[in-house]
Amino acid sequence: MDFEVTYTPEQEAFRAEVRAWLAANVPPDLEEPVDPAHLSYEQYGKRRELGRKLGAKGWLYPTYPPEYGGGGLSVDFALILEEELDRYGLHLPPYYDSGGRLGAASILVWGSEEQKRYFLPPMLTGQWRTWQLLSEPGAGSDLAAVQTRAVRDGDHYVINGQKIFIGSLHGCEMMWTLVVTDPEAPRHHNLSWFMIPADLPGIEVRPMELLTAGGEGGASPGLKHTVFFDNVRVPAFHLIGGENNGWKVATTHLELEHGGGGLIRRHRVAERFLEYCLTTKRHGVPLSQDPDVRDDMVEVYIKKEIVRLLGLRTYWLSHANRPRSYEGPQLSYCRKVTNLEIAEIILRALGPYTLTTDPAWAPLAGLLEHFQRAAVVGLHPGGTTDIQKVVMARRLGIGRTVREEAGRLR
Amino acid sequence: MDLSLSDAQELLKASVAHFVQQECPKEVLLALEMTPTGTTPQLMRKMAELGWLGILIPEAYGGAGRSFTDAAVLFEELGKGPVCGPYFTSSVLGALLVLHGGSEEQKRALLPQVARGTCVLGVAVTEADYGWQPQAVQLRAHRQGDHYRLSGVKLFVHDAQAATHLLCAVRTGDDPRGGITLLVVEVPTAGLTVRSLPGWMGQVDEVRFEQVQVPATAVLGGVEGRGWDVLEAAALQAIPILCAYKVGSCQAVVDMALAYSRTRVQFGQPIGRFQRVQDHIIAMVNHLDAARWTTYEALWKLDSGRPAAASVHLAKAVTSEAYVKVCDGAHEVHAGVGVMREYGLTLHTQRSRALYHLLGDPRTHRRRLADALGW
Ligand SMILES: Cc1cc2nc3c(=O)[nH]c(=O)nc-3n(C[C@H](O)[C@H](O)[C@H](O)COP(=O)(O)OP(=O)(O)OC[C@H]3O[C@@H](n4cnc5c(N)ncnc54)[C@H](O)[C@@H]3O)c2cc1C
Repeated sequence: MDFEVTYTPEQEAFRAEVRAWLAANVPPDLEEPVDPAHLSYEQYGKRRELGRKLGAKGWLYPTYPPEYGGGGLSVDFALILEEELDRYGLHLPPYYDSGGRLGAASILVWGSEEQKRYFLPPMLTGQWRTWQLLSEPGAGSDLAAVQTRAVRDGDHYVINGQKIFIGSLHGCEMMWTLVVTDPEAPRHHNLSWFMIPADLPGIEVRPMELLTAGGEGGASPGLKHTVFFDNVRVPAFHLIGGENNGWKVATTHLELEHGGGGLIRRHRVAERFLEYCLTTKRHGVPLSQDPDVRDDMVEVYIKKEIVRLLGLRTYWLSHANRPRSYEGPQLSYCRKVTNLEIAEIILRALGPYTLTTDPAWAPLAGLLEHFQRAAVVGLHPGGTTDIQKVVMARRLGIGRTVREEAGRLR
Repeated sequence: MDLSLSDAQELLKASVAHFVQQECPKEVLLALEMTPTGTTPQLMRKMAELGWLGILIPEAYGGAGRSFTDAAVLFEELGKGPVCGPYFTSSVLGALLVLHGGSEEQKRALLPQVARGTCVLGVAVTEADYGWQPQAVQLRAHRQGDHYRLSGVKLFVHDAQAATHLLCAVRTGDDPRGGITLLVVEVPTAGLTVRSLPGWMGQVDEVRFEQVQVPATAVLGGVEGRGWDVLEAAALQAIPILCAYKVGSCQAVVDMALAYSRTRVQFGQPIGRFQRVQDHIIAMVNHLDAARWTTYEALWKLDSGRPAAASVHLAKAVTSEAYVKVCDGAHEVHAGVGVMREYGLTLHTQRSRALYHLLGDPRTHRRRLADALGW
């Protein structure tokens, strides 16, 4: 066993190349607002531009096959990229995108060769930012109960229905969604998976007012929407994986949403909280010397380390193509409940300071206030904590008579 | 033994419930949440007419002179809203401070007006070095002739924006406890600024003093150095009423989760059938009941003149934690819909966090509990 990543001379040379490239290409004035809802359109544009530049080198989605716009790199190289980007507080992709991480993974497994050649390069090189449209008012955990309907009409499908909790600030180029194509067919055999250009007539996008739009874990979307489809005509070519095969296609991105890809991101809020306690005085002494706060700091540290290691383990399993079973949902479950626990420990440790964004008084420019909200909201995206437990139990072979296997990622 | 409410209390409860339903429906509360005071002149007037703003104030000073438990019944129902506004701060904590510490003249000047809603008391204790122990009161009041001069900041003061008078804990001497004095500062006063603090905290403010002059007659009770004793005595009686507010809040949140788990269908059945959902709700109900009965016993001890300190600390430690956990559970049960602002659950989530530290957080009260038990 070796936790330390050791680098070959070739990899060290790659690191030097990445470092020089980033120095020349990361805009110096990139801002990361503590509340992602405050990301300006201009700043978003800069992130997209950086994404396209990374994409042109195959570095936006570095482990995807190069023939589809990925970098064809191994995990170790991908880690180097992530580490170097982390020095700028960035990760891949440098903005919210459900395309490369989830949608492209599904197309890669389930799309025809022609579809892969058409859809993947723009997704993987950052030409398109993509939203996922799964949930509906009546179908959240029970995703297979979606009602949005697609009806074949010549070489098009006509889509009608409503999706909720969708997307991000500043729009997207492409949407992918799960809809009913055969209302008569049995559950899981009635659905199809579509890629839908966001500018088709009949699509209406309305913002939702939420406590905040996402939690620590993925790039935060900043905003969610209700999306209405009113007779939207989508070319049949945009149906991925064949008619009524949509549930299978979905298992790939659901596996990833359930944590199956792992996580190698630092817990930015926990780290900044710890640093804050070490450097801020209250009652004349550093917070870290207050025995109560010290206990709280250790508790936060332990919790974030456990999640880090579960994330690392799962990342390794997935990228080294090792067998996986319950690890993804376990990571997702632990990450979510740990975030809420950490939020409450911080509330206890720093008192009402945790709840303000006031320029004069807020610690870390309001990062903690946002985290208080984000930790609550973050319990739900990608499947509730209960659902993660359900899946974990199935994978452990105690949820159903037949042990469930992890979804296909390749 | 009889753990039920009296008929009069049941009547009060029903009329407050009706009031909250009529005057403070969810849409109104969602709008009030965003305002600096959390109330309106009309609401203040109606509550005053119903006698609720003077519920603890003796009849001799224009109040209703009712028991702590009666006041708790009122606040438990308000907590269900959750109704925001300065009612607890002014009519419970503030009024009790004046009752415990004020001179006869101050009682006559302030209390009838508090009951009428024409005077709103704010209570400014905490500072940048936040805490609810006497050492945390550092703002100095310098005596100069017949007045005091103050410069400094009181921070995380609840309901200061609504206040016409601020009861400020200030330092007039070096003794950690015996050096604290309460001053009645009128709003507005030259050099005094009150500012709402932005964020997820509701009606919580910064109060800034720049060379503020306060007449020496503003000392509560007329004698320096009694401030902390008065604050402790008033807090001991006010805390169970704050706890009752949170009990009401917990009840409302549990009710929301129960109703939702009966009506929301996933996988062809109401989600309440899932044992995982049941587990959330059972944990919530356990928190609610722990909060409720620790609070009620503390109230009974206060009303029957028994030593109540340990029970009060117990109730405060349990209840503040309970409100947070009950909201967490409700978010698990509601998932997506619960974080939509218009649904109303986040009003509670916000208050569960914003009230967590008021008058001492659970850790403070656990410690005080051990002291009170003589350990
Ligand atoms: C911030 C945010 C971002 C989101 N982003 C997206 C997005 O980009 N795209 C998208 O399509 N969706 C998105 N969602 C929706 C999200 O996927 C759903 O909220 C989530 O899957 C839960 O569905 P629900 O809200 O309908 O809750 P429900 O499914 O109604 O769940 C209610 C309760 O029932 C429990 N429950 C349900 N079924 C079971 C069961 N079988 N066993 C045990 N317990 C059960 C749940 O755990 C929960 O406690 C987002 C949601 C949020 C809050």
